[in-house]
Amino acid sequence: MTELAALFSIAAGSPEPIFRQIMGQVMRRVASGQWPPGTEMPSVRELAVALTLNPMTVSKAFSQLEAEGVLVRRRGLTMVVADTAVERGATPDAAALLRPSLARVVAEARQLGLTQTQTLALFKEAWQAPANPDDRS
Amino acid sequence: MNAVTPSAPIDIAGLSLGFDGKPVLQGLDWRVAPGQVVGLLGRNGAGKTTLLETALGLREADAGQARLFGCPAVALDDAARARVGYVPQQSNLFEWMTPEQLLRYFRAFYPRWNEAKVEGLLSRWDIDRRQAIAKLSAGQQQRLSIIRALAHEPELLLLDEPVASLDPAGRRDFLQELVEQVSNLGTTIVFSTHILSDLERVAVDVALLEGGRLALQAPLGDLLDDARRLRGPSSTLQAWLQATGLAVLATRPLEGGRLQVVARVPEGAALPAGLESEALSLEDLFLAVTAA
Repeated sequence: MTELAALFSIAAGSPEPIFRQIMGQVMRRVASGQWPPGTEMPSVRELAVALTLNPMTVSKAFSQLEAEGVLVRRRGLTMVVADTAVERGATPDAAALLRPSLARVVAEARQLGLTQTQTLALFKEAWQAPANPDDRS
Repeated sequence: MNAVTPSAPIDIAGLSLGFDGKPVLQGLDWRVAPGQVVGLLGRNGAGKTTLLETALGLREADAGQARLFGCPAVALDDAARARVGYVPQQSNLFEWMTPEQLLRYFRAFYPRWNEAKVEGLLSRWDIDRRQAIAKLSAGQQQRLSIIRALAHEPELLLLDEPVASLDPAGRRDFLQELVEQVSNLGTTIVFSTHILSDLERVAVDVALLEGGRLALQAPLGDLLDDARRLRGPSSTLQAWLQATGLAVLATRPLEGGRLQVVARVPEGAALPAGLESEALSLEDLFLAVTAA
């Protein structure tokens, strides 16, 4: 397994389809500059086996990222981060990528009857927790 | 969509079947194209096992027909039979045999048999080759049943609750094996399960059995993308649904003249004021669509 494959994490049971989770994770790493242009993606097969996913699901995520200009296909096989991924605005800014998750947290906090102050305190606590933030099952 | 050819792995038309005058399948149509991986969902008693057994020709339908690779399922020839693998819900292994004897016995029926795969899986899944099958645990029997179904490298694999007796590690091993099958051989797979997280990982399409028919068939990614739970004043919601002609999956009246609807709403559709919209997980969707 390449190191990159180990960086993905999939949450089954979410309203967000798995192919979109993969897309979002690639886009966030690219937008933040963690994966600069030319960074090589794992192969579809490799990522499918590493994450125990149907290869068609991984392939769909990669194809859409290609269509949106985030990834380019090199030598017909591996995908790499496109040179123009960030400049072309193919990846929205980091804040825009985080907003949907935050909206979900706010909605759930309201359902639980938590105040803004209580929620912010919980957010701070979660931020400081040392556990691996990617380790959701 | 895939072109319909006479050699589709599964082609079912107008299938009806009842027990003691109680209808289970009612004019069910279903086509599974080569390479599709379909998760079959339905509540307990919806008829998933009956559907799989009838698709395989193990039960005779009252009306309609099931074909596998173009061949009537009830009169499957040896060539078509060799292309199909089946893992039943109830392990139907010969319990007095050992795994070694059982696999040798089945090997004789098939033109192709991947001995290396069988040996590899027996070792990896820790199955005692010389212990009587009756003495294996339920989980080991289920694993053996899976090995038996994979050994002849079927093009079509039908699995009825294949992980019911497996612990989380066993389930992950099994899913890994399915991913390998799909990656290496492009196997067409239909599996029923109540464990929706497993289904999401491995299936690309879902089929939901409800009321004797497939109430819903869709690519899973598309379905999660556009399925929404809408709530609002009954009149507003109904007028909007009528005007847009969206596919409604479930409807439930709420108190105070309000209505809740699960519908497929394409991206960018403009919702009228006063309607709330919420994305759904597969479990939410399943519960909404199968609610009595």
